Amino acid sequence: MVFLTVLALVVMRRLELIPGPMQTLAEGIHGAIEEAIRAVAPNHVTQLLPFIGTLWIFLVAANLCGLIPGVHSPTRDLSATTALAILVFLSVHWFGIRSKGFKAYLRHYLSPSPILLPFQLVSEITRTVALAVRLFGNIMSLEMAALMILLVAGFLAPLPILMLHIIEALVQAYIFGMLALIYIAGGLQSQQLRSSSKGELNE
Amino acid sequence: MRCIVGLKIMLGPEMNGVGRQSLLPTRCLEKTVELSWSTLALEMFNFLVLLWLLKRFFYKPVQSVIKRRQDSIEERLARAEQMEVKANKMLSQYEERKEQWHLECEQAREALQTEIKLKREKEERSLRDSLEQERQRNLTLEIQHSHDLERQLELRALEQGSQFAAQLLKLASGPELENRLIELFIHALNSLDEDRIVELRNQLSHSDALMQISSAFTLTEEKRITIKKLMKKILQRDLQYHFVEDSELVAGLRIRVGPWELGANINDELLGFSSLMGDLMIESTGR
Repeated sequence: MVFLTVLALVVMRRLELIPGPMQTLAEGIHGAIEEAIRAVAPNHVTQLLPFIGTLWIFLVAANLCGLIPGVHSPTRDLSATTALAILVFLSVHWFGIRSKGFKAYLRHYLSPSPILLPFQLVSEITRTVALAVRLFGNIMSLEMAALMILLVAGFLAPLPILMLHIIEALVQAYIFGMLALIYIAGGLQSQQLRSSSKGELNE
Repeated sequence: MRCIVGLKIMLGPEMNGVGRQSLLPTRCLEKTVELSWSTLALEMFNFLVLLWLLKRFFYKPVQSVIKRRQDSIEERLARAEQMEVKANKMLSQYEERKEQWHLECEQAREALQTEIKLKREKEERSLRDSLEQERQRNLTLEIQHSHDLERQLELRALEQGSQFAAQLLKLASGPELENRLIELFIHALNSLDEDRIVELRNQLSHSDALMQISSAFTLTEEKRITIKKLMKKILQRDLQYHFVEDSELVAGLRIRVGPWELGANINDELLGFSSLMGDLMIESTGR
């Protein structure tokens, strides 16, 4: 967190209209995140950008920490991934309630039929658990595999595994962030779908 | 508080044959699978703090600078569009002005050609007139010149004639000529009309009573008496007569009474002829 904050402060120290290399990189990251959010939830880019962006940046940094000798990825700890999954779980409801109100948000659990409410609730829990366990399992197993190969084969043998680690770290971060985005967007757009379908019926 | 729940993957005790301590750090693995509430809470807090920090120091500044850049680009685009519109307008104005200028040039050229044509015609007319005037003047001068030449020839002929006559009369002068001139004089006096005689009498009524009669040769007594009688008859009064000889008269006589003078001699006739020639010369020069 400190590293990311200091990096942000250094990069953002002198922002120019004609950007330097670091500013270009920062704007590129920002633009990429913004475009990804716009592709999923085009009407809530400004609202979702800080949370989803932070999630992605944090996960990339955290997953890549495992490459540094003597440092473990925070995401190979189930507590850390569970914390992030809970935050995603809470943010889905937070953004949903903020968007259309408490009652309107809760009403979408009863649609299209109240019978589906238990399944909705189970789905909410299981997807959160899956989110946490998926990231934890992938990162932990990756580090474990690298450690085992290092112990068995020697110094340079786990190098391809480290390359795989980089890819896996980026992919897992992307998957986690994208799933979080899709969940949140689902919570937001379910309200809109309902209202638009009602509007069509009225017409 | 550290709370350990549920998930505990126990790899260690089942792997005694392999050698537990040398293969994997089972304790470490156990630790990662444990769910620690404190870690969870701190992780959540940590993430929220990071979210706030990044929002404060990363997203907002980047969004701000992107927005500024977009505004700047839009402003430049708007300015460029305005400039393009202005340039197009200026271009159309320029094209219009160019066409108008071509038209004006054509009109000015036509006007200039018309003016040149008119001026040339006027100049040609003026030149023709001036040439005609010059031709008339030259013709007049030529005619005058020919007249002058003719007159000069006449004068010269007259001069030569008078010189010839004077020379001839000088050679031919003598008493016979004088007698003939006296007879002519007497005849002229006798043939004077009455008005002339009255005028002569009036003019000589207040003049001196002495009459001087000059002749080239000595007059005979008979002629003197004839002259005296004739003069008395004309003037109706008695005068004193004084007869003198004057060889300059060449032949003939001259009668002088006060300011009045009568002559019938060669010298006076030649002088009169010369005077006439002089008048003609002055007249021709004056022209």
